[in-house]
Amino acid sequence: MTVQTLNTKAEQAILRSFEDNAAKLPGGKPVAALRRAAIGAFASKGLPSRRVEEFKYTDLKANVKEALPLATGGAVAGDAANPAGAHFGTEFTADAVVFAGGRGVPAKSGQRHFLADANLPAWAAAALEDVDLKVSADLLLNTALFTDGAVIDVPAGAADDAPIVIVSLPAEGRMTALRHVIRIGKGAKATIVEIERAEDGAGARQSSGLTQITIDDDAVVEHIKVVEARKGSLHLSHWQANLGANVTYKPFQLTIGEGLVRNGLNVLFNGQHSTLDHGAASIMHGTGHADSTLVIDHKVPHCTSRELFKTVLDGQARAVFQGRVIVRPDAQKTDGKQMAQALMLSPDAEFDSKPELEIYADDVVCGHGSTAAEIDPDMIFYCMSRGIPAAVARVLLIESFVAEAIEKIEHEGLREALGGIARDSLAA
Amino acid sequence: MLEIKNLHVKLEDEDKVILKGLSLTVPKGEVHAIMGPNGSGKSTLAYVLAGRDGYEITDGDILWNGESIVEMEPDERAAKGVFLAFQYPMEIPGVAGLTFLRTATNAVRKKRDQAELSTPDFMKLVKDKAAKLKIDYEMLKRPVNVGFSGGEKKRSEILQMAMLEPSLCVLDETDSGLDIDALKVVADGVNALRGPERAMVVITHYQRLLNHIVPDKVHVLADGRIQKSGGKELALELEKSGYAGFTGKAA
Repeated sequence: MTVQTLNTKAEQAILRSFEDNAAKLPGGKPVAALRRAAIGAFASKGLPSRRVEEFKYTDLKANVKEALPLATGGAVAGDAANPAGAHFGTEFTADAVVFAGGRGVPAKSGQRHFLADANLPAWAAAALEDVDLKVSADLLLNTALFTDGAVIDVPAGAADDAPIVIVSLPAEGRMTALRHVIRIGKGAKATIVEIERAEDGAGARQSSGLTQITIDDDAVVEHIKVVEARKGSLHLSHWQANLGANVTYKPFQLTIGEGLVRNGLNVLFNGQHSTLDHGAASIMHGTGHADSTLVIDHKVPHCTSRELFKTVLDGQARAVFQGRVIVRPDAQKTDGKQMAQALMLSPDAEFDSKPELEIYADDVVCGHGSTAAEIDPDMIFYCMSRGIPAAVARVLLIESFVAEAIEKIEHEGLREALGGIARDSLAA
Repeated sequence: MLEIKNLHVKLEDEDKVILKGLSLTVPKGEVHAIMGPNGSGKSTLAYVLAGRDGYEITDGDILWNGESIVEMEPDERAAKGVFLAFQYPMEIPGVAGLTFLRTATNAVRKKRDQAELSTPDFMKLVKDKAAKLKIDYEMLKRPVNVGFSGGEKKRSEILQMAMLEPSLCVLDETDSGLDIDALKVVADGVNALRGPERAMVVITHYQRLLNHIVPDKVHVLADGRIQKSGGKELALELEKSGYAGFTGKAA
C-alpha cells in the first residue's frame, strides 16, 4: 500500500483550517473524534482526482487551486427580507431554516433544531456515524468541517403541505460546510427544499452540503435542491437517502450558473415496494461545470427507480452524468430506468454521460438512455411555419426541454418557482 | 392568387434536381388538387411553399398576391397567410398544445396588425374550433402531438390552420394514416375553411380524399413538372389508369 503525500496547496490549507478551528467546531466528544478520524482519512486520500472513478470528469484536485478559510458564522447578514431569492414567496420563507456563512440564523419561529445546538437528539448523533459516508474524500471533508446544519424530524403520520425550506447563503471568500440530518416518520408526507445561493457579491465561495435523509415505511417525500453557482465558486452537494418499505421518494435538483457544482446522490432501497422518482435540470453557462453522480442501490426486491436528467449547456459549459444502478442478487422484480439528455447550444459545450447498470439479479427490467443534441432544426421550422419567429421558437423549445423535467415536481408552488428560476437562467 | 412560375428546385446539399420548371396558378376561392406518383416532387413543392431549409431555388419564382415569397422566412410567410398542414406533423415534447397555439396565433395576429387575443377570447375560440374538429379539449393541455394517433395529429394540424386563419392553405398528404371516419372529420374541417378569400392546394397520392374535399381543378405532377391539368374528373381517370402514362412506368 502506498501512502499518498499531500502536496497541493489547497489540501494543506484545508488541513490547517481544520486544526485552527477544531476546538470551535460543534458537537461533543464523539463528534470531535469523528471529525478527527475523518480529517485523518481525508489527509491520506486528498481531494479526489480524475483517478477516482466517481470524480473521473470532475477532478477536484486539479480544479481546486486554493482552499478558502473556513467560515464559522457571524459574517454574513444575508438578505433578511428574502433569503431564498425572488422566486420564492413568503409562504416558503417565513419559516425557512437559514444558514449564513455556515451558521444557523436564529429562526423566526424557532421550531427546528440546529445541528450545532448542544442538545443534539440521539438519532441525529447516530446518523452522523453512517459508515457509508466514510469512503469518499468529499464527504470526509464535510464530516471534518461542518459548522452547522438542520436537524429535521418529521413525526409519523405528519401531513403538512407546507414545504420545509433550508437556505444556505455561503459567505463570500469563505469555505462553508453544512450537514443536514432529516428523519421522516412512518406514513408521513413531507416536502423539503434546500436552496443554495450566493447573495450579490462577486467573490468566490466554496461550500459543502451533505444531507442525510432516512425515510420510514409508507412515507411520501419530495426533496428539492436549487443551486445557483456563481463563477469561480464551488459547491459540493451530497444526499444520502435510506428508504424503508413502500416509500415514495422524489428528489429533484436544479443547478444553474457558471460555477463548479457536484451533486452526489446515493439512494439505498432497504425495504420492498419503494419508488425513487428522480428529476434534475442543469442550466450551465460560461465555463460552468455541473456533475451529477448517482448510486442507486437496489438491495431488496420489488422496487422502482426512475431518473430523468435534463441539461442545457452554452459557452464552454460542461455537464457530467454518472448514473450507477446496482441491482443486488436478492433484488428481483426491480424496475429501473434512467434517461440523461443534454441540449448543446454551443459547439464548445461538453456533456459526459456514463450510465452504469450493475445487475446481479435475473428477473429485472432495467434500461437507460442518453442523448446530446442541438436544437432540432425541423422543430424550429415547424414553429416558424406557424408564424413563430425563430428566436421565440428557440426559447420555446429550450424551455420546453427543461420543463419536461421540472414538470416532475409535484408541489405546484415549487414547480412554478423552479420554472421561473430556470427561465431566468435561460434568458441570461 | 398563388402563382408559381417555372420553378426549378434542387436539394441544397446534393445535385438532385426535384422540380424542373413547375408552373401553377391557384386563384383565391379555389381548391386545386395536386396528384402524382411517389417521388414526383409533391412534398418538395409543399416544403418550398412553406420555406423549409435544405432546398435551393435555381430558377423561377413563387408569388402570393403578387409578392414574391421565396426570400421570406417561414414565419413571415405564415404572417402573409401561408399555411402548410404537414404530412408528418412534428411532436414537440414539453410544449403544451394550448401554449403553442396561443404563441402562434398571437405571433401572426401581431404581424398582421391585429390585436392579440385575450386569454378568455383565445380559450373560447379554441374550444369552439376544437369541438368542431372533434378534438378533446383536454388533449390540448398535453404536449403538441406527443403520443397522438395519426388521426389526432392531422386534426391537430387542421385546428392550427383554423386558428391561424391563413389565406393560402397547403395540405400535404393530409389523408395519409387516416381511417375513413377521421378522414371525414378532417375533410369537414377543411371544407369549413373554404371561402372566396382563401386558396387551397391539396396534395395527395390517392383520389379518395378528393371525394370529401372536392377540388375545382386537378393537376398531375410527375417528374418535377405539371404534366396535365383538368377538372375533378381527372382524379377519377387517374384512379383507373394510374400514373403510368406520365412517368413511363407503373406507379
